[in-house]
Amino acid sequence: MKKWWLFVAVLLVAGIALGLRLQALRLLPIDYDEDDYLGAAQRYAQALRAGDMGEIISYEYNFEHPPLTKLIVGLAIAPLPEAPLLPEQSSTMPPAGELPQPHFNIARTVSVLFGTLEVLALAILNPLAGFFLAIHTWQIKYTSQIMLEPLPALTSLLVVLFYLRSKGKLNGWLVLSGVALGITAAAKYPYCIVGVAILADWLWSNRVQRMAGESEKPGYPGSSRPVLAWILAALVIFILLDPRLWAESLSRLIQSVIYHWDYAHSGHVRQAGFPAWQPLVWLSMPVPWHPGLFLFAWDFLITLLAILGFQRMWRKQRVFGLWLAMALGFLLVWPTKWPQYLLILTAPLSLAAAEGFMGSVWAPAEKLVKHWRDARQSRHLSAEARANRAVGWRDARRALPWLLPGMVGLSLIALFPLIFQGAMALTDFNATSIRDGIQGGVWRAAWQGLTGQEKPVEFDVLQGSRAKQVRYAGPGLLIGLLSGGVAEILVFNVIWTVLSVTLQVILGVLVALVLSRPGVRLRGFWSAIFILPWAIPEFVGALVWLRIFEPRYGWLALAQNLPLDVSSPSWFENPNQTLLILLVAATWYGFPFIMLAALAGFKLMPYEVYDAAALDGAGGWRLFKHIIWPLLMPLVIPAIIIRSIFAFNQFYLFIALRTDYPLVTFATLSYYLFAPTGYFGGQFAVSAAINIITVIVLVVLIVWFNRVSRASEGVTYA
Amino acid sequence: MRKVRWWQQVIYQIGLACVGLFVLLPIWGMVYLAFDGGIRGWPTMFRLWPEQFTLSVFREVWQRPYQDQAFLALLKNSLLVSFGAAFLSLVFGASMAYAFARYRFPGRTAGLFGLLVGALLPAVALMTPLYILLSAVGLRTSLFGLTIVYTAFAMPFCIWNMRAAFQSVGKELEESAFLDGATTLQTFWWITLPLSLPSIAVAALIAFLIGYSEFAMGWLFVDRSQNVTLAMAIAGIIQGNALQSWSRLAALAVMMSLPVVVIFMALQRTLMDRWMFGDIND
Repeated sequence: MKKWWLFVAVLLVAGIALGLRLQALRLLPIDYDEDDYLGAAQRYAQALRAGDMGEIISYEYNFEHPPLTKLIVGLAIAPLPEAPLLPEQSSTMPPAGELPQPHFNIARTVSVLFGTLEVLALAILNPLAGFFLAIHTWQIKYTSQIMLEPLPALTSLLVVLFYLRSKGKLNGWLVLSGVALGITAAAKYPYCIVGVAILADWLWSNRVQRMAGESEKPGYPGSSRPVLAWILAALVIFILLDPRLWAESLSRLIQSVIYHWDYAHSGHVRQAGFPAWQPLVWLSMPVPWHPGLFLFAWDFLITLLAILGFQRMWRKQRVFGLWLAMALGFLLVWPTKWPQYLLILTAPLSLAAAEGFMGSVWAPAEKLVKHWRDARQSRHLSAEARANRAVGWRDARRALPWLLPGMVGLSLIALFPLIFQGAMALTDFNATSIRDGIQGGVWRAAWQGLTGQEKPVEFDVLQGSRAKQVRYAGPGLLIGLLSGGVAEILVFNVIWTVLSVTLQVILGVLVALVLSRPGVRLRGFWSAIFILPWAIPEFVGALVWLRIFEPRYGWLALAQNLPLDVSSPSWFENPNQTLLILLVAATWYGFPFIMLAALAGFKLMPYEVYDAAALDGAGGWRLFKHIIWPLLMPLVIPAIIIRSIFAFNQFYLFIALRTDYPLVTFATLSYYLFAPTGYFGGQFAVSAAINIITVIVLVVLIVWFNRVSRASEGVTYA
Repeated sequence: MRKVRWWQQVIYQIGLACVGLFVLLPIWGMVYLAFDGGIRGWPTMFRLWPEQFTLSVFREVWQRPYQDQAFLALLKNSLLVSFGAAFLSLVFGASMAYAFARYRFPGRTAGLFGLLVGALLPAVALMTPLYILLSAVGLRTSLFGLTIVYTAFAMPFCIWNMRAAFQSVGKELEESAFLDGATTLQTFWWITLPLSLPSIAVAALIAFLIGYSEFAMGWLFVDRSQNVTLAMAIAGIIQGNALQSWSRLAALAVMMSLPVVVIFMALQRTLMDRWMFGDIND
């Protein structure tokens, strides 16, 4: 019975995938490179028809990508009547306006086929993961166009699936896995990261088994024979499927690798101006260039679920976790401007998202329903609960007069403004309609809209609306922001929080570690100095760093130009360097706080622990990892939480250093958008919507942190 | 604990000196400008110390730090706004903090959570609606309007902190006062409040500092130079169209920061503890 359902689910998911991809095939405009690949495929088709093997081997155009996909497309269009050959342009040229039919559609159908098969393969493993992969917009886009991605994306998944079936032993499945890896390599190189992940997984399980002492047992799989066979199979298939390597193999292979290295570091990629973390931005938003084309725009949700489910996936199937982590690492390190590289990790991402859904949404919901049912069954309150409730109400009556002044005050200056802000976010309120808005137009528009008297108006967020009256704009703005409308800012804000706090904690704890060692001299002197950045008002601290890093007249710029005025450094033009500067300043400003917390923690720590550990021969890193840090952590976690929230809301640093979009926090962006005299200010509604998002994110963070800090309450904070 | 050997001592001291350099060098880069009379706009030469040591910049800044305003006028505005915010936060917040500390009423946890969110909210998130609402009642450009804004930033934090202070006063003391026939109000006024005065003072100090060092909201709200505060004047110097002297900027920054630095140095442990919010459920 259950099997039958699974079968239906898998078919359903595959059907959804196919439908979405066919629709995208029909509607998507011609993209970069599609004409180049189709042109190459036309030549291959010609050669195939003529049976000219030599031409296939020596065909030079687009040599940087291995020819397998282009060959398959050529095979698919070979039976068609010939169309005029497309010109062999450089692949950086803008795409052609029109491509010959039906060749174009047939070629795209090949992609759709591979894309759907990949979803099918993943759905067999986990239907929900298959569903996420089926609706992922980046996945749909790049498996519905003539791209190199669909085939290696499919085969790289197969590599892992077959490897899992083989259980790491030398058998038919392992050979199949090697074959799939060979196909992957022959289709596009970066997808081979999956092979590295498998190697890592294999080494890992070997180590675990060795530690468990299983290597003495007969039939121990730790020998390197299976892996060598696997690699051999992959190599043979790779060379078989790449005809260009049949002659001058090595030099041609090196040539294409060098090409990619040069290309990645060329001005062409750098000009795009993407920060190193751009892949994360893409993962946090649906494909932005084709509005209305995709039925589901859940990409951000999928990424979020994947983060939640990563650990669960890791515990179940480590190799997928390794795959996801390594592919992500590769994307972050390898500079590229092409989002299709995302497809090297969409499969494990979807699986992690499925695990995240089961672990963080389904299981708690199930628990809640059960709890609710139990509560309904035992409706009668116990005597104790009734007494508690009576005490509660008596306390409420007593507390009320005490609460009143604060409640009135807070309602007036905080609660009411926040509600007003919510109303603002539902309108098109901006600097043009400020007069009307101040006179109650915001309430009117929000009320009329919410009671259905007025239809929401469309307005361009960037241009702003020109109406003198405030109009209802609906929740579209909020929904747009929540589903990845400001993904750049969100990703930057999160990266910023994590990196800056991590650096602060490292430096702060390190300094505290030294300062708390008895016998170290001048401790009071040093700690008095180290507190300084914390004591200086934040924006003066930010100015101090502006003084140093200002690109023309800053200390560093002047120091560089000491002998002669050469060229000015441009750290604010490169986002990666800007981040570095911001991090230096933030570390300077934030580490004393952590240091103070850690110093207080060390005071509470019994020195006998050190001594006992030292007697046992633990020293240096091991002492820190197993003794000091676990004892210290509960004491510094409150400080870390406070610093994290500060970092998330950081404002003055960004204002003082005047960083560009997207290197700003939500608070800074909202300020710029609001300031009526600013360059792109006066967008009251958008600014309000961003603030609402900030509040939501903050509430989630605080709930989560509260849970973390309660979990670490093993040692009480004195 | 093992003894620190001499070579370890050297390594430690070198490491600490590196961190010390990292901390002090940027500060010095700013501070020496204040003593350099020769800089009119941005510094144009790389230096490690003033070209010609002088105190004249401080004198200049004392007389006319920003446009036609005197230093004392700016300071007066700063003090008015920050003391006002601290005062309002305490007066309106104290009784609420007491209720949260003493009574277990329904909705208490939710209220505490709301306060925590309020205390951790970025200032900008409240500034947007307050700007419109204060414009509507015609208070936006006045110093009182600015005081209200800073109160909104500081009050949840103050309430949260005073609650902790009231909670640490033993319940037994209050109960013995009740037995002697005191009312709740009398107990609060004569017993709990005096006992937790130091903690309340620290909460007030932090509320004061929020207003004292804030400038971005200030520039949005205020439009007359009579209402400019010290912190705003500093931001005004770098953000103004006319390139103003960095010597004066540095001098003003030093004069403004010095009292704050002294306060932090003197009260470091206490301030540190105040910033930790503790658990909701205690």
